[in-house]
Amino acid sequence: MNIKAQPRKRRSYQSSRIIQSIIIHAILLLFVFIALFPIYLMFNAALKTSAELFQSFLSLPKDPQWKNFSFILNEQGYKGALYNSMILSTSSMILTTVISVLAGYGFAVYRFVGKQWLFLLVLTGLMVSETSVLIPVYQLLQDLGLLNTYAGMILPQAALGLTFGVFLMTTFFKDIPHALIDAAVVDGGSDLQVLRHVIMPLARPAIMSLALIEFMWAWNSFFFPLVIATKQWLMPMSVRIIDFMGRFTFKYDMIATTTVILFTPILILYLITQRSFHRGITFGALKD
Amino acid sequence: MPRFNIRPYIFIAPALIYLAIWIFYPILNAFVLSFFDSPTGRSRDYFWVGLGNYTKLLQDDLFLKSLYHNILWVLLSIAIPVVLGLLLAVVLSGRGRTRLVYASIYFIPQTVAAVCAAIVWRWIYDPSIGPLNHLLEAIGLTGRPWLADESIVLIAVNMIGSWSYYGFCVLIFMAGLQNISPELYDAAKIDGAGALQRFLYVTIPLLRNAITFVLVYTIIGSMKFFDLIFVATNGGPNEASTVVGLRIYWHSMREGRFNYAATMSTILTVVILALSVVVIRQIVTEEGD
Repeated sequence: MNIKAQPRKRRSYQSSRIIQSIIIHAILLLFVFIALFPIYLMFNAALKTSAELFQSFLSLPKDPQWKNFSFILNEQGYKGALYNSMILSTSSMILTTVISVLAGYGFAVYRFVGKQWLFLLVLTGLMVSETSVLIPVYQLLQDLGLLNTYAGMILPQAALGLTFGVFLMTTFFKDIPHALIDAAVVDGGSDLQVLRHVIMPLARPAIMSLALIEFMWAWNSFFFPLVIATKQWLMPMSVRIIDFMGRFTFKYDMIATTTVILFTPILILYLITQRSFHRGITFGALKD
Repeated sequence: MPRFNIRPYIFIAPALIYLAIWIFYPILNAFVLSFFDSPTGRSRDYFWVGLGNYTKLLQDDLFLKSLYHNILWVLLSIAIPVVLGLLLAVVLSGRGRTRLVYASIYFIPQTVAAVCAAIVWRWIYDPSIGPLNHLLEAIGLTGRPWLADESIVLIAVNMIGSWSYYGFCVLIFMAGLQNISPELYDAAKIDGAGALQRFLYVTIPLLRNAITFVLVYTIIGSMKFFDLIFVATNGGPNEASTVVGLRIYWHSMREGRFNYAATMSTILTVVILALSVVVIRQIVTEEGD
Protein backbone atom coordinates (compact mmCIF):
# COMPACT_ATOMS: atom_id res chain seq x y z
CA MET A 1 0.00 0.00 0.00
CA ASN A 2 2.57 2.40 1.16
CA ILE A 3 4.94 1.61 -1.61
CA LYS A 4 2.21 2.14 -4.18
CA ALA A 5 1.02 5.41 -2.68
CA GLN A 6 4.46 6.93 -2.52
CA PRO A 7 4.98 7.83 -6.20
CA ARG A 8 1.52 9.32 -6.54
CA LYS A 9 2.08 11.47 -3.52
CA ARG A 10 5.39 12.67 -4.87
CA ARG A 11 3.84 13.45 -8.22
CA SER A 12 1.12 15.61 -6.69
CA TYR A 13 3.72 17.30 -4.53
CA GLN A 14 5.74 18.06 -7.64
CA SER A 15 2.80 19.37 -9.61
CA SER A 16 1.76 21.64 -6.75
CA ARG A 17 5.31 22.95 -6.71
CA ILE A 18 5.10 23.61 -10.42
CA ILE A 19 1.83 25.47 -9.99
CA GLN A 20 3.32 27.48 -7.15
CA SER A 21 6.33 28.35 -9.25
CA ILE A 22 4.11 29.41 -12.16
CA ILE A 23 2.09 31.69 -9.89
CA ILE A 24 5.24 33.26 -8.45
CA HIS A 25 6.68 33.86 -11.89
CA ALA A 26 3.39 35.34 -13.06
CA ILE A 27 3.45 37.79 -10.15
CA LEU A 28 7.08 38.73 -10.71
CA LEU A 29 6.43 39.27 -14.42
CA LEU A 30 3.29 41.28 -13.69
CA PHE A 31 5.44 43.79 -11.82
CA VAL A 32 7.96 43.84 -14.64
CA PHE A 33 5.06 44.77 -16.88
CA ILE A 34 3.84 47.46 -14.44
CA ALA A 35 7.33 48.96 -14.22
CA LEU A 36 7.95 49.05 -17.95
CA PHE A 37 4.55 49.62 -19.55
CA PRO A 38 4.33 53.39 -18.84
CA ILE A 39 7.88 53.75 -20.14
CA TYR A 40 6.95 51.86 -23.31
CA LEU A 41 3.97 54.17 -23.72
CA MET A 42 6.19 57.20 -23.27
CA PHE A 43 8.68 56.15 -25.96
CA ASN A 44 5.88 54.97 -28.21
CA ALA A 45 3.99 58.26 -27.96
CA ALA A 46 7.15 60.23 -28.64
CA LEU A 47 7.60 58.51 -31.98
CA LYS A 48 4.03 58.76 -33.25
CA THR A 49 2.06 61.53 -34.84
CA SER A 50 -0.91 62.87 -32.87
CA ALA A 51 -3.32 61.24 -35.31
CA GLU A 52 -1.69 57.83 -35.05
CA LEU A 53 -1.60 58.15 -31.28
CA PHE A 54 -5.34 58.72 -31.19
CA GLN A 55 -5.99 55.59 -33.22
CA SER A 56 -3.93 53.30 -31.04
CA PHE A 57 -1.50 53.90 -28.24
CA LEU A 58 -0.38 50.26 -27.98
CA SER A 59 0.85 49.45 -31.47
CA LEU A 60 4.40 50.28 -32.49
CA PRO A 61 4.73 53.43 -34.58
CA LYS A 62 4.35 52.69 -38.30
CA ASP A 63 6.51 55.58 -39.33
CA PRO A 64 8.69 56.66 -36.38
CA GLN A 65 8.68 60.43 -36.14
CA TRP A 66 12.37 60.99 -35.37
CA LYS A 67 11.88 64.56 -36.49
CA ASN A 68 9.91 65.17 -33.27
CA PHE A 69 13.24 65.22 -31.48
CA SER A 70 14.91 67.74 -33.74
CA PHE A 71 11.74 69.83 -33.68
CA ILE A 72 11.87 70.02 -29.86
CA LEU A 73 15.63 70.43 -29.57
CA ASN A 74 16.28 72.84 -32.40
CA GLU A 75 13.11 74.66 -33.37
CA GLN A 76 11.67 74.86 -29.85
CA GLY A 77 15.08 75.67 -28.39
CA TYR A 78 15.24 72.81 -25.92
CA LYS A 79 18.89 72.24 -26.78
CA GLY A 80 19.74 75.07 -24.40
CA ALA A 81 17.72 73.46 -21.64
CA LEU A 82 19.61 70.21 -22.13
CA TYR A 83 22.88 72.14 -21.86
CA ASN A 84 21.67 73.81 -18.65
CA SER A 85 20.75 70.44 -17.17
CA MET A 86 24.23 69.18 -18.00
CA ILE A 87 25.90 72.15 -16.28
CA LEU A 88 23.66 71.92 -13.22
CA SER A 89 24.10 68.16 -12.78
CA THR A 90 27.82 67.97 -13.50
CA SER A 91 28.71 70.91 -11.27
CA SER A 92 26.64 69.89 -8.29
CA MET A 93 27.86 66.29 -8.67
CA ILE A 94 31.51 67.39 -8.57
CA LEU A 95 30.94 69.81 -5.69
CA THR A 96 29.09 67.26 -3.54
CA THR A 97 31.48 64.42 -4.28
CA VAL A 98 34.66 66.38 -3.51
CA ILE A 99 33.34 67.82 -0.23
CA SER A 100 31.94 64.42 0.79
CA VAL A 101 35.22 62.60 0.12
CA LEU A 102 37.15 65.12 2.24
CA ALA A 103 34.66 64.96 5.11
CA GLY A 104 34.45 61.17 4.86
CA TYR A 105 38.23 61.00 5.24
CA GLY A 106 38.14 63.25 8.31
CA PHE A 107 35.35 61.29 9.98
CA ALA A 108 36.58 57.79 9.10
CA VAL A 109 40.32 58.06 9.71
CA TYR A 110 40.68 60.38 12.70
CA ARG A 111 39.54 60.42 16.28
CA PHE A 112 38.77 63.88 17.55
CA VAL A 113 36.82 65.82 20.12
CA GLY A 114 33.16 66.27 19.21
CA LYS A 115 33.27 63.71 16.38
CA GLN A 116 30.03 61.95 17.34
CA TRP A 117 28.14 65.20 17.72
CA LEU A 118 29.41 66.68 14.49
CA PHE A 119 28.52 63.51 12.60
CA LEU A 120 25.04 63.53 14.10
CA LEU A 121 24.69 67.18 13.12
CA VAL A 122 25.53 66.29 9.53
CA LEU A 123 23.00 63.43 9.61
CA THR A 124 20.14 65.71 10.69
CA GLY A 125 20.53 67.26 7.26
CA LEU A 126 18.90 64.08 5.87
CA MET A 127 15.59 65.20 7.31
CA VAL A 128 15.66 68.61 5.69
CA SER A 129 13.72 69.19 2.51
CA GLU A 130 13.74 71.86 -0.16
CA THR A 131 10.36 73.06 1.01
CA SER A 132 11.63 73.53 4.57
CA VAL A 133 14.47 75.82 3.55
CA LEU A 134 12.94 77.50 0.49
CA ILE A 135 12.35 81.00 1.85
CA PRO A 136 15.71 81.62 3.57
CA VAL A 137 17.58 80.07 0.64
CA TYR A 138 15.65 82.25 -1.80
CA GLN A 139 16.34 85.41 0.22
CA LEU A 140 20.01 84.50 0.62
CA LEU A 141 20.36 84.06 -3.14
CA GLN A 142 18.56 87.34 -3.66
CA ASP A 143 20.97 89.15 -1.30
CA LEU A 144 23.96 87.60 -3.04
CA GLY A 145 22.54 88.54 -6.43
CA LEU A 146 22.48 84.88 -7.48
CA LEU A 147 18.85 84.48 -8.53
CA ASN A 148 18.73 83.50 -12.19
CA THR A 149 22.37 82.47 -12.36
CA TYR A 150 24.04 79.07 -12.76
CA ALA A 151 25.75 79.45 -9.37
CA GLY A 152 22.40 80.15 -7.75
CA MET A 153 20.99 76.90 -9.10
CA ILE A 154 24.06 74.78 -8.36
CA LEU A 155 25.02 75.84 -4.81
CA PRO A 156 21.82 74.90 -2.93
CA GLN A 157 21.30 71.80 -5.10
CA ALA A 158 24.71 70.46 -4.07
CA ALA A 159 23.80 70.99 -0.40
CA LEU A 160 20.74 68.74 -0.68
CA GLY A 161 22.82 65.66 -1.50
CA LEU A 162 25.74 66.49 0.76
CA THR A 163 24.48 64.77 3.91
CA PHE A 164 23.94 61.53 2.00
CA GLY A 165 27.41 61.93 0.48
CA VAL A 166 29.23 62.44 3.79
CA PHE A 167 27.37 59.50 5.32
CA LEU A 168 28.16 57.20 2.38
CA MET A 169 31.84 58.15 2.19
CA THR A 170 32.37 57.86 5.96
CA THR A 171 30.85 54.38 6.16
CA PHE A 172 32.81 53.17 3.14
CA PHE A 173 36.15 54.62 4.27
CA LYS A 174 35.70 53.05 7.71
CA ASP A 175 35.78 49.63 6.04
CA ILE A 176 39.27 50.22 4.71
CA PRO A 177 41.76 48.40 6.96
CA HIS A 178 43.43 50.88 9.26
CA ALA A 179 46.74 49.07 8.96
CA LEU A 180 47.02 50.21 5.34
CA ILE A 181 46.58 53.84 6.33
CA ASP A 182 48.99 53.58 9.26
CA ALA A 183 51.60 51.98 7.03
CA ALA A 184 51.34 54.86 4.59
CA VAL A 185 51.65 57.39 7.43
CA VAL A 186 54.71 55.65 8.85
CA ASP A 187 56.26 55.86 5.39
CA GLY A 188 55.90 59.61 5.69
CA GLY A 189 52.75 60.07 3.61
CA SER A 190 50.78 63.25 4.10
CA ASP A 191 46.99 63.23 4.45
CA LEU A 192 46.45 64.05 0.82
CA GLN A 193 48.87 61.32 -0.25
CA VAL A 194 47.05 58.78 1.93
CA LEU A 195 43.76 59.94 0.46
CA ARG A 196 45.03 59.76 -3.10
CA HIS A 197 47.12 56.61 -3.00
CA VAL A 198 45.42 54.47 -0.34
CA ILE A 199 41.79 55.52 0.08
CA MET A 200 40.82 56.61 -3.42
CA PRO A 201 41.91 53.45 -5.26
CA LEU A 202 40.17 51.21 -2.71
CA ALA A 203 37.02 53.30 -2.49
CA ARG A 204 36.70 54.05 -6.19
CA PRO A 205 33.47 52.01 -6.58
CA ALA A 206 31.89 53.87 -3.64
CA ILE A 207 32.90 57.26 -4.99
CA MET A 208 31.57 56.24 -8.38
CA SER A 209 28.23 55.26 -6.79
CA LEU A 210 27.98 58.58 -5.01
CA ALA A 211 28.80 60.59 -8.13
CA LEU A 212 26.20 58.73 -10.21
CA ILE A 213 23.43 59.12 -7.66
CA GLU A 214 24.17 62.81 -7.14
CA PHE A 215 24.16 63.31 -10.90
CA MET A 216 20.77 61.65 -11.21
CA TRP A 217 19.28 63.64 -8.35
CA ALA A 218 20.45 66.94 -9.81
CA TRP A 219 19.35 65.97 -13.33
CA ASN A 220 15.85 65.11 -12.11
CA SER A 221 15.65 68.00 -9.63
CA PHE A 222 12.78 70.37 -10.06
CA PHE A 223 11.82 72.47 -7.05
CA PHE A 224 14.89 74.70 -6.61
CA PRO A 225 15.43 75.25 -10.35
CA LEU A 226 11.74 76.12 -10.72
CA VAL A 227 12.05 78.85 -8.10
CA ILE A 228 15.58 80.05 -8.84
CA ALA A 229 15.72 79.93 -12.65
CA THR A 230 12.71 81.88 -13.85
CA LYS A 231 14.37 83.06 -17.07
CA GLN A 232 13.86 80.71 -19.96
CA TRP A 233 17.50 80.73 -21.13
CA LEU A 234 18.58 79.36 -17.75
CA MET A 235 15.92 76.71 -17.15
CA PRO A 236 17.11 73.10 -17.06
CA MET A 237 15.19 70.48 -19.02
CA SER A 238 13.14 69.38 -15.99
CA VAL A 239 11.65 72.87 -15.66
CA ARG A 240 11.33 73.71 -19.36
CA ILE A 241 9.07 70.66 -19.74
CA ILE A 242 6.35 72.40 -17.73
CA ASP A 243 6.48 75.36 -20.02
CA PHE A 244 5.61 73.00 -22.86
CA MET A 245 2.58 71.53 -21.15
CA GLY A 246 0.61 74.74 -21.11
CA ARG A 247 1.18 75.48 -24.77
CA PHE A 248 0.48 72.01 -26.17
CA THR A 249 -2.08 70.62 -23.76
CA PHE A 250 -3.32 67.97 -26.14
CA LYS A 251 -0.20 67.46 -28.19
CA TYR A 252 0.82 64.39 -26.25
CA ASP A 253 3.31 63.38 -28.92
CA MET A 254 5.30 66.59 -28.31
CA ILE A 255 5.05 66.32 -24.53
CA ALA A 256 6.12 62.67 -24.69
CA THR A 257 9.10 63.64 -26.83
CA THR A 258 10.35 66.10 -24.20
CA THR A 259 9.97 63.55 -21.42
CA VAL A 260 11.94 61.03 -23.48
CA ILE A 261 14.70 63.60 -23.98
CA LEU A 262 14.87 64.20 -20.22
CA PHE A 263 14.70 60.51 -19.29
CA THR A 264 16.94 58.80 -21.85
CA PRO A 265 20.36 60.03 -20.59
CA ILE A 266 19.57 58.79 -17.07
CA LEU A 267 18.17 55.49 -18.37
CA ILE A 268 21.35 54.82 -20.35
CA LEU A 269 23.52 55.80 -17.39
CA TYR A 270 21.53 53.49 -15.13
CA LEU A 271 21.61 50.54 -17.51
CA ILE A 272 25.40 50.82 -17.86
CA THR A 273 26.14 51.29 -14.18
CA GLN A 274 23.30 49.49 -12.34
CA ARG A 275 25.62 47.90 -9.83
CA SER A 276 27.06 51.23 -8.78
CA PHE A 277 23.57 52.65 -8.31
CA HIS A 278 22.43 49.65 -6.29
CA ARG A 279 25.54 49.64 -4.11
CA GLY A 280 25.17 53.31 -3.22
CA ILE A 281 21.46 53.11 -2.52
CA THR A 282 21.44 49.93 -0.44
CA PHE A 283 24.40 50.89 1.70
CA GLY A 284 22.43 53.20 3.94
CA ALA A 285 20.01 50.45 4.89
CA LEU A 286 22.64 47.89 5.75
CA LYS A 287 25.11 49.84 7.83
CA ASP A 288 24.20 52.15 10.63
CA MET B 1 48.43 55.14 17.19
CA PRO B 2 45.72 57.67 17.95
CA ARG B 3 46.57 60.94 16.30
CA PHE B 4 45.05 64.02 17.83
CA ASN B 5 45.34 67.31 16.04
CA ILE B 6 43.72 70.01 13.97
CA ARG B 7 43.80 68.11 10.68
CA PRO B 8 40.49 66.22 10.89
CA TYR B 9 38.71 69.52 11.46
CA ILE B 10 40.24 70.89 8.29
CA PHE B 11 38.89 67.92 6.34
CA ILE B 12 35.36 68.14 7.67
CA ALA B 13 35.24 71.96 7.65
CA PRO B 14 34.12 72.37 4.01
CA ALA B 15 31.15 70.05 4.56
CA LEU B 16 30.13 71.71 7.83
CA ILE B 17 30.46 75.23 6.45
CA TYR B 18 28.55 74.29 3.32
CA LEU B 19 25.73 72.68 5.28
CA ALA B 20 25.70 75.61 7.71
CA ILE B 21 25.12 78.08 4.88
CA TRP B 22 22.57 76.13 2.84
CA ILE B 23 20.81 73.90 5.38
CA PHE B 24 21.26 74.82 9.05
CA TYR B 25 21.13 78.60 8.73
CA PRO B 26 17.99 78.43 6.52
CA ILE B 27 16.25 76.11 9.02
CA LEU B 28 16.94 78.50 11.89
CA ASN B 29 16.14 81.52 9.76
CA ALA B 30 12.76 80.05 8.77
CA PHE B 31 12.07 79.53 12.46
CA VAL B 32 12.93 83.19 13.23
CA LEU B 33 10.91 84.47 10.25
CA SER B 34 7.85 82.62 11.53
CA PHE B 35 7.55 85.09 14.45
CA PHE B 36 7.49 88.13 12.18
CA ASP B 37 5.28 89.57 9.48
CA SER B 38 5.75 92.27 6.86
CA PRO B 39 3.40 95.11 5.88
CA THR B 40 3.27 94.17 2.20
CA GLY B 41 4.18 91.09 0.20
CA ARG B 42 7.90 90.61 -0.50
CA SER B 43 8.92 93.54 1.73
CA ARG B 44 11.47 92.92 4.45
CA ASP B 45 10.30 95.52 6.98
CA TYR B 46 9.56 92.83 9.47
CA PHE B 47 7.62 93.44 12.66
CA TRP B 48 7.17 91.06 15.57
CA VAL B 49 3.88 89.17 15.72
CA GLY B 50 4.81 86.50 18.25
CA LEU B 51 2.74 83.39 17.64
CA GLY B 52 0.42 85.29 15.31
CA ASN B 53 1.37 83.25 12.25
CA TYR B 54 0.87 80.00 14.13
CA THR B 55 -2.63 80.92 15.33
CA LYS B 56 -3.50 81.99 11.79
CA LEU B 57 -2.23 78.66 10.48
CA LEU B 58 -4.35 76.69 12.89
CA GLN B 59 -7.41 78.42 11.45
CA ASP B 60 -6.26 78.00 7.86
CA ASP B 61 -8.48 75.15 6.63
CA LEU B 62 -6.50 74.77 3.44
CA PHE B 63 -3.25 74.30 5.36
CA LEU B 64 -4.81 71.77 7.73
CA LYS B 65 -6.24 69.94 4.75
CA SER B 66 -2.85 69.87 3.06
CA LEU B 67 -1.16 68.55 6.21
CA TYR B 68 -3.84 65.86 6.43
CA HIS B 69 -3.13 64.91 2.81
CA ASN B 70 0.58 64.57 3.60
CA ILE B 71 -0.16 62.24 6.52
CA LEU B 72 -2.53 60.25 4.29
CA TRP B 73 0.26 60.08 1.72
CA VAL B 74 2.63 58.60 4.32
CA LEU B 75 0.08 55.88 5.14
CA LEU B 76 -0.67 55.12 1.49
CA SER B 77 3.03 54.92 0.69
CA ILE B 78 3.61 52.47 3.52
CA ALA B 79 0.50 50.43 2.67
CA ILE B 80 1.27 50.07 -1.04
CA PRO B 81 4.89 50.38 -2.24
CA VAL B 82 6.64 49.53 1.03
CA VAL B 83 4.56 46.43 1.77
CA LEU B 84 4.71 45.39 -1.87
CA GLY B 85 8.47 45.91 -1.92
CA LEU B 86 8.88 43.74 1.16
CA LEU B 87 6.76 40.90 -0.27
CA LEU B 88 8.51 40.98 -3.65
CA ALA B 89 11.91 41.02 -1.96
CA VAL B 90 10.98 37.94 0.11
CA VAL B 91 9.73 36.12 -2.99
CA LEU B 92 12.89 37.05 -4.88
CA SER B 93 15.29 36.19 -2.07
CA GLY B 94 15.13 32.47 -2.78
CA ARG B 95 16.30 32.93 -6.35
CA GLY B 96 19.78 33.06 -7.73
CA ARG B 97 20.92 35.49 -10.35
CA THR B 98 17.47 36.19 -11.76
CA ARG B 99 16.55 38.18 -8.66
CA LEU B 100 19.09 40.84 -9.65
CA VAL B 101 17.52 41.09 -13.09
CA TYR B 102 14.05 41.55 -11.59
CA ALA B 103 15.29 44.09 -9.02
CA SER B 104 17.08 46.08 -11.73
CA ILE B 105 13.91 46.30 -13.79
CA TYR B 106 11.72 47.19 -10.81
CA PHE B 107 14.12 50.03 -10.02
CA ILE B 108 13.89 51.67 -13.47
CA PRO B 109 10.80 53.82 -12.63
CA GLN B 110 12.78 55.30 -9.74
CA THR B 111 15.19 56.81 -12.27
CA VAL B 112 12.35 58.60 -14.06
CA ALA B 113 12.13 62.21 -12.87
CA ALA B 114 8.95 62.86 -10.86
CA VAL B 115 8.10 65.51 -13.44
CA CYS B 116 8.29 62.99 -16.28
CA ALA B 117 6.32 60.39 -14.34
CA ALA B 118 3.58 62.93 -13.65
CA ILE B 119 3.40 63.92 -17.32
CA VAL B 120 3.23 60.34 -18.59
CA TRP B 121 0.62 59.31 -16.04
CA ARG B 122 -1.50 62.40 -16.72
CA TRP B 123 -1.82 61.06 -20.22
CA ILE B 124 -2.44 57.49 -19.04
CA TYR B 125 -5.18 58.78 -16.73
CA ASP B 126 -6.74 61.13 -19.32
CA PRO B 127 -10.48 60.38 -19.28
CA SER B 128 -11.07 60.70 -23.03
CA ILE B 129 -7.87 59.64 -24.79
CA GLY B 130 -5.88 57.99 -22.00
CA PRO B 131 -4.82 54.33 -22.25
CA LEU B 132 -6.14 53.36 -18.80
CA ASN B 133 -9.81 54.06 -19.52
CA HIS B 134 -9.46 52.48 -22.96
CA LEU B 135 -8.12 49.30 -21.37
CA LEU B 136 -10.83 49.29 -18.72
CA GLU B 137 -13.54 49.76 -21.30
CA ALA B 138 -12.07 47.00 -23.45
CA ILE B 139 -12.62 44.53 -20.60
CA GLY B 140 -16.11 45.84 -19.90
CA LEU B 141 -15.46 48.20 -17.02
CA THR B 142 -16.22 51.90 -17.00
CA GLY B 143 -13.42 54.41 -16.88
CA ARG B 144 -13.26 57.37 -14.54
CA PRO B 145 -11.82 60.88 -14.69
CA TRP B 146 -9.05 59.77 -12.33
CA LEU B 147 -7.39 63.10 -11.70
CA ALA B 148 -10.58 65.19 -11.84
CA ASP B 149 -12.57 63.24 -9.27
CA GLU B 150 -12.14 64.70 -5.77
CA SER B 151 -12.81 61.40 -4.04
CA ILE B 152 -10.05 59.42 -5.76
CA VAL B 153 -7.51 61.96 -6.96
CA LEU B 154 -5.13 61.52 -4.02
CA ILE B 155 -5.07 57.75 -4.44
CA ALA B 156 -4.65 58.10 -8.19
CA VAL B 157 -1.62 60.36 -7.72
CA ASN B 158 -0.25 58.08 -5.02
CA MET B 159 -0.33 55.26 -7.58
CA ILE B 160 2.15 57.28 -9.64
CA GLY B 161 4.36 57.65 -6.58
CA SER B 162 4.00 53.95 -5.77
CA TRP B 163 4.90 53.04 -9.32
CA SER B 164 8.22 54.80 -9.01
CA TYR B 165 8.90 53.76 -5.40
CA TYR B 166 8.25 50.01 -5.05
CA GLY B 167 11.44 49.06 -6.89
CA PHE B 168 13.48 51.15 -4.47
CA CYS B 169 11.89 49.24 -1.55
CA VAL B 170 12.58 45.87 -3.21
CA LEU B 171 16.24 46.79 -3.54
CA ILE B 172 16.66 47.85 0.10
CA PHE B 173 14.80 44.83 1.51
CA MET B 174 16.64 42.44 -0.78
CA ALA B 175 19.96 43.78 0.47
CA GLY B 176 18.71 43.37 4.04
CA LEU B 177 17.59 39.79 3.39
CA GLN B 178 21.02 38.85 2.09
CA ASN B 179 22.34 39.30 5.62
CA ILE B 180 19.97 36.72 7.09
CA SER B 181 21.59 33.32 7.33
CA PRO B 182 19.57 30.50 5.68
CA GLU B 183 20.29 28.30 8.71
CA LEU B 184 17.82 30.38 10.72
CA TYR B 185 15.07 29.40 8.30
CA ASP B 186 16.09 25.76 8.45
CA ALA B 187 16.00 25.88 12.24
CA ALA B 188 12.55 27.46 12.17
CA LYS B 189 11.36 24.81 9.69
CA ILE B 190 12.58 22.01 11.95
CA ASP B 191 10.69 23.63 14.81
CA GLY B 192 7.58 23.35 12.64
CA ALA B 193 7.15 26.99 11.65
CA GLY B 194 5.04 27.56 8.53
CA ALA B 195 5.87 30.07 5.81
CA LEU B 196 3.83 32.83 7.46
CA GLN B 197 5.38 32.19 10.86
CA ARG B 198 8.88 32.20 9.37
CA PHE B 199 8.08 35.54 7.73
CA LEU B 200 6.72 37.07 10.95
CA TYR B 201 9.22 35.69 13.44
CA VAL B 202 12.43 35.35 11.43
CA THR B 203 12.31 37.71 8.47
CA ILE B 204 10.66 40.77 10.00
CA PRO B 205 12.76 40.99 13.19
CA LEU B 206 16.01 40.48 11.31
CA LEU B 207 15.09 43.10 8.73
CA ARG B 208 14.70 45.67 11.48
CA ASN B 209 17.43 47.98 10.16
CA ALA B 210 16.15 47.92 6.61
CA ILE B 211 12.56 48.46 7.76
CA THR B 212 13.53 51.43 9.94
CA PHE B 213 15.46 52.93 7.08
CA VAL B 214 12.63 52.53 4.58
CA LEU B 215 9.97 53.84 6.99
CA VAL B 216 11.96 56.95 7.90
CA TYR B 217 12.86 57.55 4.27
CA THR B 218 9.20 57.14 3.28
CA ILE B 219 8.01 59.57 5.96
CA ILE B 220 10.53 62.22 4.98
CA GLY B 221 9.80 61.78 1.28
CA SER B 222 6.02 61.87 1.81
CA MET B 223 6.06 64.99 3.96
CA LYS B 224 8.23 67.05 1.65
CA PHE B 225 7.17 65.92 -1.82
CA PHE B 226 6.23 68.55 -4.36
CA ASP B 227 7.25 67.83 -7.99
CA LEU B 228 4.83 64.98 -8.61
CA ILE B 229 1.71 66.67 -7.32
CA PHE B 230 2.65 70.06 -8.80
CA VAL B 231 2.74 68.62 -12.30
CA ALA B 232 0.05 65.96 -11.98
CA THR B 233 -2.77 68.05 -10.47
CA ASN B 234 -1.32 71.24 -8.94
CA GLY B 235 -3.45 70.40 -5.88
CA GLY B 236 -6.73 70.17 -7.75
CA PRO B 237 -9.54 69.55 -8.32
CA ASN B 238 -10.89 71.96 -5.71
CA GLU B 239 -7.73 71.47 -3.59
CA ALA B 240 -8.58 67.80 -3.11
CA SER B 241 -4.94 66.85 -3.61
CA THR B 242 -3.13 69.85 -2.18
CA VAL B 243 -0.10 69.22 0.06
CA VAL B 244 2.04 71.38 2.36
CA GLY B 245 4.78 71.78 -0.25
CA LEU B 246 2.29 73.32 -2.66
CA ARG B 247 0.97 75.70 0.03
CA ILE B 248 4.52 76.86 0.82
CA TYR B 249 5.26 77.44 -2.86
CA TRP B 250 1.97 79.25 -3.38
CA HIS B 251 2.21 81.59 -0.39
CA SER B 252 5.86 82.46 -0.93
CA MET B 253 6.45 82.54 -4.67
CA ARG B 254 2.98 83.59 -5.83
CA GLU B 255 1.70 85.78 -3.00
CA GLY B 256 5.01 86.94 -1.51
CA ARG B 257 3.89 86.11 2.02
CA PHE B 258 7.31 84.84 3.05
CA ASN B 259 6.71 84.86 6.80
CA TYR B 260 3.53 82.85 6.55
CA ALA B 261 5.22 80.33 4.25
CA ALA B 262 8.24 80.15 6.57
CA THR B 263 5.86 79.24 9.41
CA MET B 264 4.60 76.31 7.34
CA SER B 265 8.18 75.28 6.63
CA THR B 266 8.95 75.28 10.33
CA ILE B 267 5.92 73.13 11.13
CA LEU B 268 6.91 70.76 8.32
CA THR B 269 10.43 70.41 9.74
CA VAL B 270 9.07 69.72 13.22
CA VAL B 271 6.57 67.13 11.97
CA ILE B 272 9.25 65.31 9.95
CA LEU B 273 11.61 65.25 12.93
CA ALA B 274 8.89 64.12 15.33
CA LEU B 275 7.62 61.30 13.08
CA SER B 276 11.15 60.08 12.33
CA VAL B 277 12.08 60.05 16.01
CA VAL B 278 8.89 58.14 16.90
CA VAL B 279 9.63 55.45 14.30
CA ILE B 280 13.29 55.14 15.24
CA ARG B 281 12.58 54.97 18.98
CA GLN B 282 9.72 52.52 18.56
CA ILE B 283 11.90 50.12 16.65
CA VAL B 284 14.97 50.61 18.83
CA THR B 285 13.02 49.94 22.05
CA GLU B 286 11.47 46.81 20.55
CA GLU B 287 14.97 45.61 19.84
CA GLY B 288 15.83 46.03 23.51
CA ASP B 289 13.11 43.61 24.61
